[in-house]
Amino acid sequence: MMPDWRDPAAASHRPVGLAASLAAVRRWVRHLGIEGQVVSLAVVVALFTIGTGGRYLTGSNVQVILSLAAIPTIIAVGLHQVVVLGGMDLSVEGVVALCVVFVGLLTRNNMNRNDVGMWIIPVTLGIGAAAGFVSGACNAKLRIPSFIVTLGMSWVLWGFAVFVSQGQTVALLDSRFHVFVTGNVGGIPNLAILAVLLTVFLQVLQDRSQFGRYMYAIGGDEVVARHAGVPIDRVKIVIFTTAGLFYGLSALLLTTRLGGSQAITGNNLVFPAVTAVAVGGVALTGGIGGAKNAALGALIVTALNDGLILMHVNPYAQDAVNGAVLVVAVALTLDRKKLGFIK
Amino acid sequence: MIHPDDHPMTSLARPAPVLELRRVRKSYPGVVALDGVDLAIYPNEILGLVGENGAGKSTLMKILVGLVQPDGGAIQASGKPIALADPSDAIRHGIGMVFQDGSMVPNLSLVENLFLCHERGFRRLGLLSRRAMRERAASLLKEVNIHTDVETPIAEVPPAVRQMVELTRLLWQSTLYGQANPILILDEPTTVLNEGERATLFRILESVKRRASIILISHRLQEVVEASDRIVILKDGRNVTELPAARARVAEIEQLMVGHAFSADRYREEEQAAPRPEQVLEVEGLRKRGAFDSISFSVRGGEIVALVGLVGSGKEEICKCIAGLQRPDAGRVRIAGRDLAPGSPSHAVASGQGYVPIDRRSEGLALNLSVAKNVNLLVLDRLRRAGLVNPGQERANAARWMSECRIKAPSPSTPCGTLSGGNQQKAIMAKWLSSDVKLLVLDHPTRGVDVGAKDDIYRLLRQLARDGIGMIVMCDTLEEDIGLSHRLMVMKDGRLVGEVACPLGKKPTPGDIIGMVV
Amino acid sequence: MPTDALRNGEVSGQDQHARARSRGVPALAYATGLLAVLVVLFSLGNRHFFSLYNLNTIASYAAILLVVGLGQMCTILIGGIDLSVGGLMSLTAVVFVLSLRIIGYWAYPLCLALGVAVGYVNGTILTRVRIPSFLATLGTGGIMSSLALLVSPLPVDVPASHYALLSVVNGSVLHLKNLLLLALLFYAFFHVVLRLTVAGNHILFVGSNITMSWMSGIDIVRTRNLAYVLSGLAASLAAILVSCGQFGGDPTLGSVYILTSIAAVVVGGTAMTGGAGGPVNTLIGALILSVMENGMNVVGVNAYFQQSILGGVTIVSVYLTFDRTKVPVVK
Repeated sequence: MMPDWRDPAAASHRPVGLAASLAAVRRWVRHLGIEGQVVSLAVVVALFTIGTGGRYLTGSNVQVILSLAAIPTIIAVGLHQVVVLGGMDLSVEGVVALCVVFVGLLTRNNMNRNDVGMWIIPVTLGIGAAAGFVSGACNAKLRIPSFIVTLGMSWVLWGFAVFVSQGQTVALLDSRFHVFVTGNVGGIPNLAILAVLLTVFLQVLQDRSQFGRYMYAIGGDEVVARHAGVPIDRVKIVIFTTAGLFYGLSALLLTTRLGGSQAITGNNLVFPAVTAVAVGGVALTGGIGGAKNAALGALIVTALNDGLILMHVNPYAQDAVNGAVLVVAVALTLDRKKLGFIK
Repeated sequence: MIHPDDHPMTSLARPAPVLELRRVRKSYPGVVALDGVDLAIYPNEILGLVGENGAGKSTLMKILVGLVQPDGGAIQASGKPIALADPSDAIRHGIGMVFQDGSMVPNLSLVENLFLCHERGFRRLGLLSRRAMRERAASLLKEVNIHTDVETPIAEVPPAVRQMVELTRLLWQSTLYGQANPILILDEPTTVLNEGERATLFRILESVKRRASIILISHRLQEVVEASDRIVILKDGRNVTELPAARARVAEIEQLMVGHAFSADRYREEEQAAPRPEQVLEVEGLRKRGAFDSISFSVRGGEIVALVGLVGSGKEEICKCIAGLQRPDAGRVRIAGRDLAPGSPSHAVASGQGYVPIDRRSEGLALNLSVAKNVNLLVLDRLRRAGLVNPGQERANAARWMSECRIKAPSPSTPCGTLSGGNQQKAIMAKWLSSDVKLLVLDHPTRGVDVGAKDDIYRLLRQLARDGIGMIVMCDTLEEDIGLSHRLMVMKDGRLVGEVACPLGKKPTPGDIIGMVV
Repeated sequence: MPTDALRNGEVSGQDQHARARSRGVPALAYATGLLAVLVVLFSLGNRHFFSLYNLNTIASYAAILLVVGLGQMCTILIGGIDLSVGGLMSLTAVVFVLSLRIIGYWAYPLCLALGVAVGYVNGTILTRVRIPSFLATLGTGGIMSSLALLVSPLPVDVPASHYALLSVVNGSVLHLKNLLLLALLFYAFFHVVLRLTVAGNHILFVGSNITMSWMSGIDIVRTRNLAYVLSGLAASLAAILVSCGQFGGDPTLGSVYILTSIAAVVVGGTAMTGGAGGPVNTLIGALILSVMENGMNVVGVNAYFQQSILGGVTIVSVYLTFDRTKVPVVK
C-alpha cells in the first residue's frame, strides 16, 4: 500500500462540540490556503484596536476600511493573475490614467458637451482590456519580458493620458455613478460588495474551469505545460486582457468616487497593488495563489494603512512601512528553488 | 552478431508490429547518433532496450516521442507510414514517455496533472466537476495500485507515485485518442525506487502489458532480463542484436553491449606515462546521505583516474563535492595538501582544483563572450600591468592557449557560442590549463564532440599528465575510461566496490569491468 | 533535471542560424544607425540643430543620462536592474543642497558616499534576503523617495551666496562645461573599471553565465556588490549634476530617471539578459534619448507624450536585444 499523504494526525483525535466546530473552521481555512493571511489580519486589527483605544473597530471605521479596500482589491485581483503566470504587470497606473481621462472626456462634465451616460462602462472596460491585450500580445508573441512590457506600456499610456487631458482636471457631473459608488447596503459599502462578488466569481473560475488549470500549469512549469498541450499564448493574452479590464473598472469607480478626472488619479496605485498581491500569499514565482488571496491581501494592506493614519503616523514613514511589508511578504512567498541564482 | 538460435520467432507465430522504425538515421554536427537503426514494437510486450551511453537509446526515444526529427529512415504504424513532428503527434499515436523524475507541473495535484488539457469530458454546465474528476482519477490510479489522495500536490508525492501518475496519464490519453495498443516508454524508472517499489512497478507493468506495449530502458541488466519479453541491444548508434529475454544471460548482454575486444590506440595510450609520486588529491571518509558513503582515495600528480559506475552510483556527486559545488556530510578533501572548505567553489579553484562540466553550454562557458575572454577568465589578475588588465597580455595569453589547445576559431574575439562542441570543450580546458590547476575533474569530456576534436582532447589530457596534473575522468564509454586512465575506480550504489589497474599494454577489456559495474 | 529532455529539445544544438537570430541584431550597429537617422531627421526639421546652443543643450542632457545610465548599465550587465535610482537621486538632491549650506564643499564627497552606501545596501539585500533585484530595488527606491520628501517636502534652493560652491559642475574649462567634462571622465572611469579591472570583468562574466562564474570560483557576492555600488555612485553623481544646474534640490527629481536610465542602457543595445554591452552602448543610448527629446521639444511634442514615446522605444529596444536563448521561457 502506498502511504496516505493526508495529515496522519487528523484521523486520530476527533474533538466534540465547540472545539469541533472551531477545528472544522480551522481546517476549512487551512484547506483554503489563507490561514496565514487570516492570522495576519487578526494581528493587524488587534494591534490597531489597542493602539487607537478602540476607535479602530468602530462601525464607521470598519465601513471606511471596507470602502477604501474595495478598489485596491479589484486592482489586486486583476493583477494577481499575471503574477500567477509567473510574470508581473506594472501597467496599472498607465491604464487607469487613460481610462480616467476618457471618463472625464465622455461623461457629462464641465468641459465639453459629451454625455455618453451608461455607455462609459463598456468604453472604460474596453480601453482597459485593449491595453491589457497589447501587453499580453507583446509578452506572449514577441517574447518580451512582462515586467518591461508593462512598465513601458504604463509610461506610454500615461503620457498619452496627460496629453489628451491637457493636464487639466475635469469635474464629473453625472451623479448616478457617484451615488452608487458612495452608497451602501445595510451598512456595507456597495463597492465592497462589488469587490467581493468579483473576487468570488474569479475564484470559482480559477478553481473550476479548464482555463484555471492552464493558468496554474503555466505558472508551475511553463515548459512542461507547453508539452502537455496547454495553449500558452492564448492563456497569457486572455489573462493580461482580463487584468486590463479590471484596471479599467477600477478607474471608473475611482474617478466617479472622486467626482473629478485628472491624469494623475492613477498614480501610486501599482505599489500597493503588488504589495497586496504578495501579502495575500500569491508567490512571485508563479503557480500559487488565487483571487481570494489577492483580495485578502488588499484588505490587510488597507487595514494596515488605515490604522497608521488613525495613529497619525507620518505619511512618509507609512511608505517605508509599506515598502518593508512588500519586501518581507515577497521573501516569504518566493519559491527559491525556482529562482536559482538571484540577480 | 546474431546467433542462429536467437532469431526472433517467425512472423507466422507473431502478430504484426504496432510500430516499426526502419534504418533510422540521426546526426548532430560531428557526431552520428543513430546510423540506420531498426526497431519493431509488437503489441502487448515489454521490450528492454539496453546499450551504453552514446549508444543512441535516448536519441531513438526522442524520435519516437516527436522531440527530435530523424535525418533518414521511416516510421510505420500498423504498416502505414507516419510522421511524428512533435510530442502531440506522438501522443495521438499513443506513444508517450515517462521521464525519470516525471514531467509534471509541481504545484498541481495528482488529479489535475492526470487530466491536464483533457478535462473537457468532466464539464457540467460550463464548469469542471471536481468530484467527477476526483472519482475517475482515484479509480484509474487504483488500477496501478496508487491509493494516495488525488488532491495532493504532485511535488509532495514520492517519485514512485509520480511515475505511476504519468503512466496512467499516458494510458488515459491513449484511450481518449482511441489507441488500442499504446506504447509507453519508461526511461530508467527504477533509479528512484527502492526494492519494494521496484517489485511493485514490475508487477504493475505485467498487468499494463495486457493493454499496451512497454519499452523499458535500464542499465540494470538483471531487471531488464527479468521484466522484459524481448531485449534489443544498441551500440554506437547501430543495432547489435535482439534476443528473447527468456534465453538471455546478463553476462552475455554485457559483452554484447560493450564489445568483446578493446580497440587500442584510440586513446593515445602510448603516451601514458608513469605518474609522479606526490599526491594532488586526497579524499578521506567522504560521505553524503543519499549519494555515497565512506569514500577514500587519492590521486597522484600526472595520474588519470577514471570513476566508473551507473547513474545513481554516486560518482557525479563525489566529483561535485570535490569541486566544492556540493557539500558532503562528512569527510575531508585535500588538494596538494591543502584542506578544502566544503561547498566553496572559489576555495577549491584557488587551491588548484578545476572542473570541466558535462554541460558545457550552460555551465562551462560565457557563450556570448569571446573565446579570448573565456580562456583568460581565471588568470586576469596575472595579466595585469600597474594594477590594470593589459589588453596586449590578454591577447597574447589567449593566442598562446588557443594554439596550444588547437582551438579552431575565426579569431580570438569570436563569441564562444558559435564554436563547435569540440572547440568549446577545448576552450574550457584551455581556461583551466592556463591557470595553476593541480587537479582537474572532467565530466564526460568528449560528449557530443567530433572525432578530430576527441583526439585533440586526448592529446591535451596526456599533456596535462606529463605536466604533473592529476585528473579524474568520467567518460561516456567504459572503453574510453579504460583507455585513458592509469586506473579505474568502480562505484556501485554509493560505495567504492573496486579498483582496477589499467597499465599500458595490459589494459582490461570492458567486458572484464562491466560485471562490477552493474 | 526531469525535463531537460524537453528543454533541450527546445534549444537543440543544431540550428545555429535560428540561435543567432534570436540573440538580437548587432546591438551597437543598430544603436549608432538609429542615432544617425535621428540626427538627420531632426536637423532637417530644425535649422538651428547644429548651432552651438542647441548642441550644448543636447550634450548637457546627454551628460546626465550618461552618468545615471552607466550605473544602471552595471546592474543590467550583471543580469539585474536598479529601480532605486529614482529615489536615490531625489534623496541625494535634497541632501546635497541642504548640506552645502552646512559643510560646503564636503557636500560632494558626502553625497557620493551616500550613493556608495545605498548601492552596498542594495547588494546586501539581494544576497541576504534573496529576492529578485527588481523587487528589492523597487522597495528601497520607494523608501528613499519617501525619505527625500521627509527631509524636504518642497524643493530647496541654493542660496546665491553659495553659487560658487557649484562651480565644480557649473564652471567651464577652456569653454567646455565642467558638466560635460565630468560626464566624460566618469565614462572613462567606467570603461577602465569594466574592461580593465578584474572585478569589472567579473561583472560581465556573472551576467553572461552566473553558474559558470560560480563554478569557476568567481566571488558572486563581491561582484554583485560592485555592480550595485557603481549604480548608487552614478545615481548620486547624476543628482549632484542636475542640482547644480538647477541651483536647487528637488525631492521629486528622480522619479523620471528610473525609466530614462533604463532606456539609455537598453536603447544603446545592452541586453537586459546581461553579459552583453558596455559603456559605449550607454553613451550612444544617452545621445539618442537626448537628441530625441531635443527634437521633439523643437517640433512641439507635448512633454508627457514624449514619455509615451520613450516607453515605446524602450519596449522595442528590449525586444530587439533580449537574448532568448538564455531563458527557456520568457515570463
